[in-house]
Parts: sequence; structure tokens; C-alpha cells
Amino acid sequence: MSLFNQFNEVNEAGFWILTAFVLWMVVFATGLINKKHTGYFFPAVTITGCLALIAGILFSGKSTVNILVPLPFFLGEAGFDFTIDPLSKWFLAIIAITGIPITLFAPGYLHHLRNRTFPGFIWAGFSMLLLSMCGVVMSSNAIAFIVFWEMMALSSFSLVASDNEQRETRRASFIYLGATRIGTGFLMAGFLWAHSITGSWSFSAWGITGAAAIGPSILILIGLATKAGCWPFHLWLPIAHPAAPAPVSAIMSGVMIKTAIYTITRLFITGSHIEFKWLGIVLIVFGAISAFWGVIFALLQHDLKRLLAYHSVENIGIILMGLGVSATGAANNIPLLTQMGLAAALFHTLNHAIFKSLLFLGAGVIDARTHLRDIEKMGGLIHKMPWTAAAFTAGSAAICALPPLNGFASEWILYQSFFKLALNGPTAATRLTGVFLMAVLALIGALAIACFVKAVSVAFLGLPRTDNARRAREGTPQMTAAQVFLAVLCVVSGLGVPVLLNPLSQITAMTGTGSMIGNIWTIPVGILTIILLTTVAAIAIWMKKLSMKNPVKSYITWECGFGDLSPKTQYTATSFAQPISSIFGNIYRYALEVTTHGRQSRHFPETVEAETRYEAYLETKLYEPFLNWIKKFSGILLMKLQAGSIHQYLIYMAIALIILIRIGVVK
Amino acid sequence: MKNIFPLIFTVVNLLIIPLLLTGVIRKVKALMQNRIGAPVLQPFYDVAKFLSKSETISKNTSWVFTAAPIIGLSVAFLAGALFPWSGSFLPGKFAAASNIFLLIYLLALGKFFSMLAAMDTGSAFGGLGASREATISMMVEPIVITGLGALCLNAGTPNLQSAFAGNINPIIAGLTGTALIIASLAELSRIPVDDPTTHLELTMVHEAMILENSGRNLALIEYTTAIRSCIFYGLTTQVFFHMLPFTHSMNPILQYAAGIAGVLLFGCAVAFAEGILVKLKWRNVPNFLTFGTVLSLLAALIAVTQR
Repeated sequence: MSLFNQFNEVNEAGFWILTAFVLWMVVFATGLINKKHTGYFFPAVTITGCLALIAGILFSGKSTVNILVPLPFFLGEAGFDFTIDPLSKWFLAIIAITGIPITLFAPGYLHHLRNRTFPGFIWAGFSMLLLSMCGVVMSSNAIAFIVFWEMMALSSFSLVASDNEQRETRRASFIYLGATRIGTGFLMAGFLWAHSITGSWSFSAWGITGAAAIGPSILILIGLATKAGCWPFHLWLPIAHPAAPAPVSAIMSGVMIKTAIYTITRLFITGSHIEFKWLGIVLIVFGAISAFWGVIFALLQHDLKRLLAYHSVENIGIILMGLGVSATGAANNIPLLTQMGLAAALFHTLNHAIFKSLLFLGAGVIDARTHLRDIEKMGGLIHKMPWTAAAFTAGSAAICALPPLNGFASEWILYQSFFKLALNGPTAATRLTGVFLMAVLALIGALAIACFVKAVSVAFLGLPRTDNARRAREGTPQMTAAQVFLAVLCVVSGLGVPVLLNPLSQITAMTGTGSMIGNIWTIPVGILTIILLTTVAAIAIWMKKLSMKNPVKSYITWECGFGDLSPKTQYTATSFAQPISSIFGNIYRYALEVTTHGRQSRHFPETVEAETRYEAYLETKLYEPFLNWIKKFSGILLMKLQAGSIHQYLIYMAIALIILIRIGVVK
Repeated sequence: MKNIFPLIFTVVNLLIIPLLLTGVIRKVKALMQNRIGAPVLQPFYDVAKFLSKSETISKNTSWVFTAAPIIGLSVAFLAGALFPWSGSFLPGKFAAASNIFLLIYLLALGKFFSMLAAMDTGSAFGGLGASREATISMMVEPIVITGLGALCLNAGTPNLQSAFAGNINPIIAGLTGTALIIASLAELSRIPVDDPTTHLELTMVHEAMILENSGRNLALIEYTTAIRSCIFYGLTTQVFFHMLPFTHSMNPILQYAAGIAGVLLFGCAVAFAEGILVKLKWRNVPNFLTFGTVLSLLAALIAVTQR
């Protein structure tokens, strides 16, 4: 087909999606020109872009849309060529519906950074991030994919680095940049390898099977795992996310890391462009470790955003477990299992995008209003910021998979797929894996509950622990609206599972055996929720009635007769997590040291100091020595290579030219 | 007409059996300690008394503290009605909902709010209780999922009603049942994990969490705990019934009567054990629960090799 595919041949869906791209490009350009502009121009145009994207998704209906962007937009070996099928649409929808509330939220948040960052610059990066994520999930060839992947990496890097006053933030953004380089490096190597096997850049022309698939698969999976933040490549995630401004953390944690999930699904599962024999077991093992690792490290954190970042590692792990089950089903020819695992993973991807961006926005409101990120310094915020508190609690309940919210819906389908694996797996070992996964997910679920009870109760409940927390106030109405919107989405997507199964079944039908997941959702969640709410309302009214007779008395919290309680006597986040942390203490050498001072220190101490410590072995024993070695080696190498002699440099150029001619790049 | 019995049974299950069970446990415990003890119906009087009193709430609290007991009781009602712990089965659409994974997360919903309420007062008692409750449920949930999961694998369906209606390998039933006993002792804060009669520093799990609750609020919590006990003891009883081949093919009314008798007998056994056992040190609780994990994993191992 000619590259001069005319725009008028592209149908309405393509038109709307290109409109979104153009609008975001406008924001990008004006943002870079007019860096200090703070009005409603940027958010309004960005939101319009998201709405245009939604219109595009709706107009495309069930059809698959192909767009070939005409010359002069061309990438040398391949064009910008887009395929918008149900899988792409699912991810486009995730980008659009989380993009809207985050954009709505951003102006209020950026206001508190007004003296430290350029809002126009952030908007430019943000709109470019949205655009490039859309590009990633639509690209149908490897070159366009890499181009958008790189735009995504660079725009998110510039956003992480935007508030770079603190040294810590600068360090975080360099670590993030390094991680994206490593990830892209592996991914490119994998793509090149796949290209050399198949001779094509287009994903749909790839059909790599057998032993040839092992090499490219491993490289591509490492590249994607780095982006997704899967163990053991997750290290950048809890460093970069807290450093970024809250709306950026929300979009990165909620949506950006999911592009890796998209790519795994696209290349390995729905299209079977690459058939990797051990994909199932690899994804299950690394998913399970990530999920467990993420949640136990989240329990140790006091920095609210870092805690949420570790939960992203956990949820990526949960999603990967679903994809792993799906791949196992495909390898063993159990189509229903393939589809259930895939549906659970993709549904959880949507749900995680909703509640994780909600939670990051909540952390953002607290940060904007109290300048606190350490939950040990918060407390009692529910009285000052009731809307944020309610929305954050709803988001926490959703991430803990409590019914009837959306986290429960996707984790329930995931449990069903594990059960199916345990029931119909071909060997006893596979079936045992299914049981094992159920136990692991139950453990992770309970740990997540512990972690979020800790976060919600220490941050929002009790008494304020510092003056900053005492002076807190609610965010702007737009910030509240954004959070309420996402909280409502948590409920809607939890109750509307049968509706959401329609697009999901279109995706699972892409695995080749027709859709089978139409009736996997058997819980009458609507009726049960109505019954539950009616009971709650009935008991509440009854209690109200009883309190007419015997009114509620307000009194102090019981302090054992010591006099008024200081906020310091409240349970801290560290103490809350201590029992669980010490059970898993061997994983990170957890230590609690209590020292008492003063004469008679045993019975009447003057001061008591308690300190908890932990050491993440993966960082201190593996990555640090490795990076130090690289630094040392490259230092020596650099000194030798860059000696400052022009003759030496000319020789380099000549050698490079000879090599290029020799391998046939320059003709 | 056929559906009327399950409905009546459900109402009885939710309104009478839970507090009766509490009364039986307290009575047997008193007898074990050579006391006469309060009448078996005392918990009913207690709840009525609490409801008629006024309540004192800490001024540090928010809506969470008031809402949590209400949510907890509603969730307990729903779970008590949905899950076949008494040997009687709800028909129709509700049958589809008696799924093991829903059971765990529904109970977790109640626990989530009760832990938040405990932290809401700003009291260190509440914090300590909530923290330990979270730790215990972290260890209990995998036991319950794996144990009941093994049983359901053997029956071939994740739906508890259908699983209980069919035949189950008696060895799996025995292992799962024993694992569930251990899990329910921890989950319901009974000896040897927690002592339900005190809130002193040595015990400090459930009772420490509810230290600030009084009056109506406390009545709701006591009731919730009673229903949760019924669910756990009842499910364990039903699992053990499957070791005896005839019990699950009886007339529904007889089956229900046997189920309730089983729950009450289980309560007696728990009270008896409380009379002769002491509470474990907190640090030894994980070791105790490991037995449960091992038993449920064994059950799962047998279940997967048998298919």
C-alpha cells in the first residue's frame, strides 16, 4: 500500500484520535514558549484532547482502525503506522479516563510549586507524555513503537526532574533516566534481534517460535520489566515516583508503567508474535515475587508517596501473575484459562490506574496543603480535609480488594483463574502452582490491608502530630472534584463488571478461540451492594433513633488517668508495621533497637530512644557493588579514551567509519 | 413453599444463634472454672442493656468511629446469610455468591473498618490491637483460602454451597477442618492466641481495639463478633461433617439441626480448651499458625494430586 494514504480515507475514529494528538502538540508547543502561563488554557486544551480521544474510542465501535500517517512523516525503514484494535482501545481508554481527573487536579497542585517550577514546562511534558503513551499503544511497527517509547521516557524524565531544587530530586531523576536507558537498550536489542530473524519491523509480520524466540524474548522482557518496575528491576520506581510532582506520579504510576503490560500482552499473548516457551512460568514467578516484595517494602515506608510507589510494584506483580496464568493456559491449550488470566490482568490494569492515581492525588493534596510526605508527621487530617480523607479511604479500600469496589472485581477474576489453573492444569505441578498463587494472593491481600490501614489511620485519623498537620486545609474544589471523580469510578467499575466484560471479551477473542469470558462473573454484586447499603442505612437510622433517647456524650480518649494525652503517645506507623516487619525481618535484616538513658534507667528512664532499621539486600549487595564497579571502570576507560589529543579523535572517527562501511550501514 | 425453610433458617441464624453461641461458650467456660456462670441467654440481655444505654465517644474521633461498627455488623449479616455455615442453603441468585474468595474479602471489609476505628481515637491501646489484628489476619487468610480452596478443588467448584452439597475426600476434609480450627481460634481472638475476657497489655488484640467503644456502639461490635464466630465455627463443622458420608445427604431440616448442634458443640469445645490452655506468647503465635498453614497446604497437595 502506498504511504500516501489520504487523511480523508481515515474514518471518524482516526480523525478524533489525530485531533487529540494535535491538541496535545499545541499544549506542548505553547507550553515551551510560554513557560510561566498559569491560566486555564493548558488544562482546558489537555482535557479536550482526552475527550477527543474518548470520542475516537467510542466512534471506532468494534472495528479495528488502521492509520498510516502520510509523508513526510516517515522513519526511514517504516512509517508511523498505527493499528487501533480492542487491546489498543482498552489502553487508550485507561489513558483518557485517568488523564482527565489528573489534568483537572494539576493546576491546584502546581500552584504550590509556583516559585520552583515553570507550569508551562510541566504542561508541555505532561501533554507529550499523554501523546507518547497513546502512540506506544497504537504503534504497529517496532520503529514507531521505539520512537514513542523514547518520547515517553524523556517526557516523563523531564517531569520527574521539573521540581529540581532538592538534591534528592536531581539524584532521583538521574536514576530514573538511567533506568529508562537500560530498559530501552534491552528492548531495542530485542527488537533488532527479532528483526534480524523475521526481516520485518511490523509486529504482525513477526511469528517467532521455538528456540529462536528465547533470545529476543529475554531481552524484550527485561526491557519491559524495567519499565514496569517488576522485581528485580523495580529499584528506580520507589525513588522516582516520590520525587515527581503528584499529578506526574499519578500518571506515571497509574498509566505509564502499564505500557509495558500492554507490550507484553501485544507481543506474547494476544498476537503471539513471539512464542516464548517459558513465558508463563517466568511471568508467574517474577510477578509473585514483585507482588510480595512490593507490599512488604511498602509496609516499611513512612513517606506516603514512596509507600504508594511500592504498591505499584505489588500491583504490577499481581497483573503479571494474571498474564502468566494466561500464558500457561495458552501453552497447555486451555483457552478458557488463557482468556480468564488475560481478562483479570487487563481489568486489574484499568482498576489499578484508577485507584492508584486517586491515591497519588490524595498524597498530592496533603503535600500541597501541609508540605508533608512523612505520615509520621500527619494525623487528624480527616477533620481538616474531609473530602480528601473520604476519597483516599475509598481508594485504599479499592486497592485492598475490598468488595464491592473495583480492586475486588479484578482480583476475584484473578482468583477464579488461579482456581481454574489448580483444577485443570495438565500436571500436578501446574495445579499446585494454582493453589500456591491463591495462597500468595491472599497473603498479599492481607498485607495490603495492613499497609493501607496504617497509611489511612496514621495520616488521617487520630490527633495531628505536627503544626503543619494542624494547619491543614482542604484542596481547591477542582482537586476535590478530581478525587471524587476517581473514587466514583472505583465504585462504578466495581459494580459494572458485566458491562466492562464486553470490551475485555473482544480482547480475549484476539487469542484466537472466540470469546469465552462472557459469563465468568457470577457474583450478583449489584444486589449484594444494595442489601449491604440498606442494612447499613437501617442500622444507622436505628442508632440515630436510640441516640434521641440517650444522647452521645463526648469525652477524652482513655489515658489511664495520666492526664491529657499528647499526640506523641499515639501509635506510629513504625509501631503499627513492626509485628509484620519483624516476621519477615530476615528478608531485609529488620532491627529494632531501644535504648534508655538517665540514672535508674531501667525503671525511671529520662529519655527513651527507639530506632528501627532495615537493609534491602538487593540494593546493598547486588546493585551497589555492580554500579560502583561500572563507575570505576568507566572512569578509567574515559580517561584513556578522552586524552584530549586531536589525533586520537581523528583515528576514532576513521575507525568508526570503516566499521560502519564494513557492516554495510553506510553505502 | 420449598424455599421458605432456608429463609426462616437464615433469620434464625442471624438473630438467635450468634448470641446463643456466645452464651453457651461463656456458660461452659464458667463451669470449667467451677463457677455457676451467667445464664445462657445473658448475652441477649447484655446487648439489650448496651442498646438502652447512652454512649461515650472520644472527642478525637471522626465519622469513621461511628460508622465502623455499623458497617461491620452489616457485613457480618450479609456474610452470615450468604455462606452455608449452618447446613442450610440460600436458593437462587444468592447461591452463586457463596464463593470462597468473596467470603474472605467480605470479612476483610469489616475488619478494615474496625481497625480504622481503633486507630481513630488516638489511643495507643487501639493502635496496638489494630496492628496485631492486621498481623494475625495476614497469617490467617492464606490458611483459610488454601484450606477451603483445597476442599473446593476436590469438589471441583469454588462455590461453597455446591462444594458442601457433594462428596469430599474425608482426608482433605479432616486436614482442612483442623487447619480451620487453628485459623478460627486466631481470627476470633480466642485462647491460645488472644484472651477475649481481658484487655490487659499481655493480650491486647481484639479487646484492646474496642476499648473506647461503649453503649450502643459496643452492642453492635459484640453482635458482629458473635456472627463471625458462628460463620467460622459453622464452616469448620460443615467441613468435618464431610468426613462422615451420611451427613450431607439428609433431610434439609435434619441437616440444619445437625449443623446448629455442631456449631454449639464446637463452642463448647472452644470453651473447654480455654479452660485448660494458657495464652501463647505473642512471639509464638506465628509458630502456632504455621501448623494451620502446613495442614492446609497438605490438604491442597492431596487435592491437586488426586485430580
